[in-house]
Amino acid sequence: MTEFLFFIEVVVAGLLAGTMYSLVALGFVLIYKASSTFNFAQGAMVFFAVLAFVGFMELGLPFVVAFFVTILLMGLVGFCTERLVLKPLRTQSEDTLLMATIGLGFVLEGLAQATWGVEVRRLDLGIGDFPIQWIIDSTGLFISALDLTAGFVAAFLIIALALLFKYTKMGLGLRAVADDPGAASSIGIPLGNIMLLVWTAAGIVALVAGMMWGARAGVQFALVDLALKALPVLIIGGFSSIPGAIIGGLIIGATEKVLEVYVGPYFGGAIEGWAPYVMAILFLLWRPEGLFGEKIIRRV
Amino acid sequence: MNVPTDNILEIDSIEVVYDNVISALHDVSLTVPRGKVVALLGGNGAGKSTTLKAISTMLASEKGKVTKGTITYDGTPVKGQTPAEMVGLGMVQVLEGRRCFGHLTVEENIIAGAYSRRLSKAEMRNELEKIYGYFNRLRDKRKSQAGYTSGGEQQMVAVARAMMAKPRMLLLDEPSMGLAPQLVAEIFRIVTELNQNEGVSILLAEQNTNVALRNADYGYIIETGHVMLHGTAESLLNDDSVRDLYLGISKEGRKNFRDVLRQESAVHPDLHHG
Repeated sequence: MTEFLFFIEVVVAGLLAGTMYSLVALGFVLIYKASSTFNFAQGAMVFFAVLAFVGFMELGLPFVVAFFVTILLMGLVGFCTERLVLKPLRTQSEDTLLMATIGLGFVLEGLAQATWGVEVRRLDLGIGDFPIQWIIDSTGLFISALDLTAGFVAAFLIIALALLFKYTKMGLGLRAVADDPGAASSIGIPLGNIMLLVWTAAGIVALVAGMMWGARAGVQFALVDLALKALPVLIIGGFSSIPGAIIGGLIIGATEKVLEVYVGPYFGGAIEGWAPYVMAILFLLWRPEGLFGEKIIRRV
Repeated sequence: MNVPTDNILEIDSIEVVYDNVISALHDVSLTVPRGKVVALLGGNGAGKSTTLKAISTMLASEKGKVTKGTITYDGTPVKGQTPAEMVGLGMVQVLEGRRCFGHLTVEENIIAGAYSRRLSKAEMRNELEKIYGYFNRLRDKRKSQAGYTSGGEQQMVAVARAMMAKPRMLLLDEPSMGLAPQLVAEIFRIVTELNQNEGVSILLAEQNTNVALRNADYGYIIETGHVMLHGTAESLLNDDSVRDLYLGISKEGRKNFRDVLRQESAVHPDLHHG
């Protein structure tokens, strides 16, 4: 029985950690849908956003104010990206855009470190990384409060974004641009505004993900690489699907924890770091478009 | 400046160059009288699409540029506007190849057409009803994913979507492409209705000369970026050289328009060579 409880604990912790992967993957999906480009700067945006947030807090701004100021800042980053990078490159190929996002990543990393310094910061959200007592009492499971909060916050953001895309005019515009930017602009959907929306949304997602990860591991440069975990998530879930990003994140989160605990010892441990990528490769062989990736609709 | 004339669109000898080197249009002039249907005819690569994209300013996204001449839409010079701004001025292009949003439903496609307008829920309902009145077939399909509907339905979605922007001028690029004759007839019937009931002026690029001229008031024939011939639809339909080259009722083999013009000694009174 304790064996089974322990297994459940591992899975739950994995799923909750997985919501964070989902969240970062969501940032990628947003931009991929709108511009068919894999945004390599997403990891840098996570780092940039949370470092700025911590920086504002250190300047003495209250939590909520710092949060909204950072969101404004991410909006500004989105605006500058649209005007200075995407707009001049609009007629170029997707590969060019991909390279541009790599460059953008370096710029953001450098800018963040030049402004706020390179040392690791502590971020205290007031939520401890300890098991919650009443859950232990009622079920015997040890679930971290931080994990649980992160799970709920991610779920909330994801639902909010999904509703935004399904039911608002901007959302319809975004989905239209995702399908055919040329046709969208021919009926008067302003591509620039849609890009701005998408980059700002991706910035908010990056900030929240950065806060959750930063609270656990410290706000540091390693967040950039942690965000790359979204890559296997996207390969499993599909690059263009919001539900795919969510399910993919949960799958990766849960399996990597289970593998780490039960299979890890045979490999000398620490397989969390690479197991997701192996899974991604297997997935590519089986279903290259991902679980929920939109199949290309083509009439013949 | 903004003196309204009888012509909603006036193009004065424009030249279009792609990528700074490839010249696509050399000297194209045409006018679209307000409330009329004008057909722009010619084969592949003649410059029909380029002409339409020059008018709607969609050229810029394909590295194309109008290097000479002027385009005047309803008294306003067309120069440097974005496609979204042109839509705001009441000019909408239906691109070649339908270009529906495949993953959106038919109705979402049509609603997206009204993106440039601020409509309340009730107004949107009204507009949709009006559109479905013209495109009956789409009413039953409105919940279907557009990518899985037939080619004819997709063409209707594309035209319906453009009409939702409430255009005063519609640019149609090859609406007949790849469609069965009955469907072509149905689409042209709807386009004519839209022209007559909604008063929208139409510039229509077509390879299907016969159908286009039967549904247009006036026609222009272009070849390799030059206007070769223009006249009333009726006069073009009855013109021997047009019949020879574009209506496929020639006795001899196909010729080039230049050769025909060289041979022709007597010029038809209603026709003007470009």
